[in-house]
Amino acid sequence: MKRKEPLFRVVKREGGSPVRLALSYVVAVVLALCIGALLLAMQGVPVMQFYQDMFTMGMVGSRYPFRVLEGFIRLFVPLLITSMALSLAFRMRFWNIGGEGQFIMGAICAGIAAFQLGNTLPQPVMLLVIAACGILGGGAYGLIVAALKVRFGTNETLLTLMLNYIALYLLEFLGETKADWNFMLSEQSARPVFAQFPEAADMILFTIGPFQLNLSLIIALVLCVLVFVYLKYTKQGYEIAVVGDSPNTAHYAGIKVGRVVIRTIFLSAALIGLAGAFYVSSAGTLSTSVTNDVGWTGIVVAWLAKLNTVGILIVSLLITVLQYGCQAAGTAYPSIDANFADMLQGIILFVVLAADFFIRFRVVIRGKEAVK
Amino acid sequence: MTDPISVLTLFLFNIIVYNIPLLYGTVGEILTEKSGSLNLGVEGTMAVGAMFGYLAGSLSNSMLLGLLVSMVAAGLCGLLFSVLTVTLQANQNVTGLTITTFGLGLYFFIGKGMGANWPAMQDSPSLVNGFAPVEIPGLSAIPVVGKALFSHSGMVYLAIVIAVAVWWYLKYTKVGLRLRAIGENPGAADSVGVNIVLYKYIHLIAGSAIMGLGGFYMALNMGGSFEGSNCWVNGYGWIAVALVIFANWNAVAAILGTLVFGFFNTLQVYSGSLASAFPEGLGWLSAVPPHLYMALPFLITAIVLVVSSIRNKRESSGQPSALGTNYFREDR
Repeated sequence: MKRKEPLFRVVKREGGSPVRLALSYVVAVVLALCIGALLLAMQGVPVMQFYQDMFTMGMVGSRYPFRVLEGFIRLFVPLLITSMALSLAFRMRFWNIGGEGQFIMGAICAGIAAFQLGNTLPQPVMLLVIAACGILGGGAYGLIVAALKVRFGTNETLLTLMLNYIALYLLEFLGETKADWNFMLSEQSARPVFAQFPEAADMILFTIGPFQLNLSLIIALVLCVLVFVYLKYTKQGYEIAVVGDSPNTAHYAGIKVGRVVIRTIFLSAALIGLAGAFYVSSAGTLSTSVTNDVGWTGIVVAWLAKLNTVGILIVSLLITVLQYGCQAAGTAYPSIDANFADMLQGIILFVVLAADFFIRFRVVIRGKEAVK
Repeated sequence: MTDPISVLTLFLFNIIVYNIPLLYGTVGEILTEKSGSLNLGVEGTMAVGAMFGYLAGSLSNSMLLGLLVSMVAAGLCGLLFSVLTVTLQANQNVTGLTITTFGLGLYFFIGKGMGANWPAMQDSPSLVNGFAPVEIPGLSAIPVVGKALFSHSGMVYLAIVIAVAVWWYLKYTKVGLRLRAIGENPGAADSVGVNIVLYKYIHLIAGSAIMGLGGFYMALNMGGSFEGSNCWVNGYGWIAVALVIFANWNAVAAILGTLVFGFFNTLQVYSGSLASAFPEGLGWLSAVPPHLYMALPFLITAIVLVVSSIRNKRESSGQPSALGTNYFREDR
């Protein structure tokens, strides 16, 4: 009996192809920039000038280029740590989209410590306390979800999404409620605003000539190396890989899957909380827009980098250039702001997601290859 | 001192007026999720539908064109989602989130790009009249209830009709049954000859188109005035994602859920005037921080999620088993 074969079918490709991967990124970025150029031109914005300002983040011709770099670092560090932390969870196919909430909880806990302790401790000790509070705040918020997921199979995507908004409104409540108990607000201002942190709680800055190097950048880079080593060379890192590949295999191999999930998600959420603590310490205050959407952008970065630690370093650098540069370049044009960066980012990700298919699968035309 | 009855009436009236977009978003997402796909792009899809629908409607002075374009623009977002996740097997969470980021970016880019050329809603009588309240004869004369329930814009009634239609479609038609089968077990549906790709494409696009109508409603309800800092949709897309869970994936329950969530949403604005209109009974309302009302929909949904997973009653839960996972035939 002759079976009817479809015109084409799709089969999984064996092994990866770095060339195709690199090509897909180049195509994505070029395509996004071309579409962006078209849109800019339609609005009468000089395209080349805009792109030049964007990629140099307005540093060329700026009177204070180092200030630009410092601002860049303040945005880059939280994104880098958050993306890296999210990739830990994603490796186990645990869809933690609660980066926003965990970041906020870390920031709130760090803020509580900063306001309560004041200038009682020396700066380095104080920063350690703040970091620990951030880690515990973010970590605990993630731990709830991981425990529920392991114990009852609660859908983690939807639960972390809800927790994001609960954390956000808690933060807004703290920032917008004048009351005797609320020690977080400035006493001078009649309008509710968060107070400045005590000096001991400010991030340490190393002065190198005209440039001030933020300590959190160094810590973030060290964390990158540690996460890389953790995933690649430790037993726990191996367990993450096995659980991510197949929870059943992991179970039969004697790995306690639930424990690995809970441990890793705590680690992931704790790192995000730490990023929150670093950010508020660098900014010297809390704010209701403290996350800069880092929990969402982190997902994009982790995915673009295929959860690869080195890749995350590169991609988060590029995305920060895109976002920070867009703000800098957009100052001259009222119609352009960070939303243009969001759009470009979206296009890049769409193309990479689409191209991914042709890296993972191949299309076989009817009659070209026998059905096995 | 305002009349307590008129405050109450206005409060009940506004629960519906301001929260109907939630129903559009939720019903669209129910249709989407019943096919087994979790589309987190509701917020972005609604924003795109709102922007293009409003611009088309006001520039051409045609309510009908506005409705149509909002559905088509949002439907294109659904098409993008389908191409990426159904055909190209991309991760649904990431794709959906990217649609939201991209959609909001596009919304602001176009809105700000229009600048001084932004069309005002008053200049297009078709939109103003098309959105004007329709008094249902007889019923709208009933005190309190008449104003609160039976004197709304046609788009309010349309939302309810769509919700009931989707509920009936999913529950009682053969096509709806097949769609639910895909959401539960695509492998089994495929083996009895259901064309999964076609079903998913159609329903993901239709779901997004319904969300787009919600965006268009919001644009009109805001009087079509574009603000550079706040999107019209303003987080309603995310509440809709929560509402799908609260309504247990049932489009008729979503009508009720819209009223519950809308109650809190509106209370946040009206707690002060309700407290002063009914000082003995509701005086305590003004002491509750508005942030609690904003957080409540998410808090309630989180509790519903956790409790339903603890009770673990698969039969009573409307959550499709295959929700969020892609179907690749050769993995079957």
